[in-house]
Amino acid sequence: MPAFSTVLENKSTRVILVAVVAVALIVAPLILPAFVNQTLVRVGVYAVAVLGLNIVMGYTGQVNLGQIFFVGLGAYVTAYGVNHDWNIIVVFLAACAIPGIVGLLVALAAARLGGLAIAMVTIALPIVGVPLAKRLDEFTGGSQGTSARFTDAPEWSGLYTDQWQFYIVLLVTATAFLLGRNLVRGKYGRAFGVVRENEAVAASMGISPYRTKVLAFTVASILGGASGFLYLAAVQYTSPETLSFGHSIALVIAMVVGGAGSIAGALIGGAYYVFVPQLTNAIDPSLTTISQGLILLAVLFLLPQGFVSLPRVIRRLARRRPARSTPPGNPPQNSPVHHPATEPAREGLEKTERQDRS
Amino acid sequence: MGTFIQLVVDGLATGSIYAALALAIVLVNQATGLINFAQGGMAVLSAYIAYAFTRLGLPLILAILIAVVVSFLIGAAIERFLIRRFEGGETDTAIVVTIGLLTLVTGISAVLWGYNNLAFPSLFPLTSVQILGAVVSVRSLATTVTIVAIMVVLQVLFLRTKLGLALRAVADNPASAAFSGLPVGRLLMVGWGLAATLGAIAGVLVAPQLTLTPGMLDTALVYALAAVILGGLSSPIGCVVAAWAIGVLENLAAVYAPLVGHDLKIAVPFVLIFVILVIRPQGLFGRKVVVRV
Repeated sequence: MPAFSTVLENKSTRVILVAVVAVALIVAPLILPAFVNQTLVRVGVYAVAVLGLNIVMGYTGQVNLGQIFFVGLGAYVTAYGVNHDWNIIVVFLAACAIPGIVGLLVALAAARLGGLAIAMVTIALPIVGVPLAKRLDEFTGGSQGTSARFTDAPEWSGLYTDQWQFYIVLLVTATAFLLGRNLVRGKYGRAFGVVRENEAVAASMGISPYRTKVLAFTVASILGGASGFLYLAAVQYTSPETLSFGHSIALVIAMVVGGAGSIAGALIGGAYYVFVPQLTNAIDPSLTTISQGLILLAVLFLLPQGFVSLPRVIRRLARRRPARSTPPGNPPQNSPVHHPATEPAREGLEKTERQDRS
Repeated sequence: MGTFIQLVVDGLATGSIYAALALAIVLVNQATGLINFAQGGMAVLSAYIAYAFTRLGLPLILAILIAVVVSFLIGAAIERFLIRRFEGGETDTAIVVTIGLLTLVTGISAVLWGYNNLAFPSLFPLTSVQILGAVVSVRSLATTVTIVAIMVVLQVLFLRTKLGLALRAVADNPASAAFSGLPVGRLLMVGWGLAATLGAIAGVLVAPQLTLTPGMLDTALVYALAAVILGGLSSPIGCVVAAWAIGVLENLAAVYAPLVGHDLKIAVPFVLIFVILVIRPQGLFGRKVVVRV
């Protein structure tokens, strides 16, 4: 373990590691079976949505129960654009911009509220969104939903559709995560962290809590829209069911289980969102509700800070065990290296703050 | 005019259902500072427990009393063995834990009793009376009266008793409460137990009307949350008034505003919340929370 983390600190090995992962991701769809590709594509779709949620909720501390609304909006915009033969780049930009603008407008009002009030305003989005999507059937196809095919693999590529979709999702997801990582590690990420911890302190430092919250919410909405674009790229169909309240809650669950306030956690959250229903269906379809509840509670009970804290917890246990086995009086001989109680922050001040409290 | 009165009366009746759940949510929030998304699911479980006892041949009122006591114990146990671990931690995590609890409890109800609607016997007669040209069932009248009684009891509990003061102290600042000698852990358990009791009463009151299914209170929970936010988290009276207002307004908007209609009537309370919160962020009856640096 310690050797592993020192290797990670080394810059050149990190570059190599990133290159290996990148090559693996590019080669993987060519080798893997279609079903695995499709599953990974869906992980990517939801990881982007969870990333957005993480920025507003995990990093900035504003409870957002309506993220799925922006995913759905992005999907509908994409379907509309594709069916009206817009250029695909224009479709993508619109799928990000329109949810972003709606998110900005909601945030301008909602960011004045704190805590649970903002949760209630955001809860309203999917709850109002579903009947609204059914009502506006000119744009949305009503309860029937609407489909748009634009991600069939082109002839020249020689790829299967699932492979082609994989590359589209990979491109957008990787870009989104890179941008998200840069955002939370930079000036704005630190502003998010301060606003989260204490708005009065933020204001006294010259950071406007209101503007910071609006920014985080808007970024989350844009990422939600991008996720909606990817959703349509992967599923090629959307209906009011896509933006149901249950799915919105599932995104929040995925975010917390993956690890709030962590970029890697967003990716794990996307995986949780996709894999757990598959897993519980495989166990016993009639017990899915119970097993999903049990899995969620078990994960949070063991890892209250989400899956992303797993390596930390393992390391802590590994350190504790040898100390216990040695009889009192004898200094432990098998662990000469002493690590600090907390890991250095990887993603801004956020995480250290949280570790201090735990 | 007759339609109008009928709509208002029906709205008050559905509003009372939301109010019952909202009161339980306020109770947990006042006692522990959390929002419990599982409140509806727990109330449904309590109703199922009462149902199980009536099937054993017990009289209804006895079955309900047993369910209320069992619910208190379940609520206290959930606090002690599940929620305790997440108190003082991240609020987001605690909220997601209660969502997980909701999923689990709903799943348990579904496995034990299935997804089919079950007829739950009513505590009150099914006859109806005419008031000002509107047909009012004795059942919804009695439900409303019970809710008002519970609301008054809660208001008195929180503002006029030592237990209420202790519960509020623990929610407000557990550390200071512990320093002044309050048994923080036990009070938290009592808070959750009382809320579960209240949920049980709400569950058995509305079960005859909605018929018993595991997801019986899912929609009501959303409305109850809306009422809680609208009325202010610290005010039982506020949330009951808000719940009634939501029930009535929603009914009126569905009939009198053609743009809204029955499919979009659920939007009414939320648009209302949006407008009110933007003007008055602490809710209609809530006190403003002052944050210290």
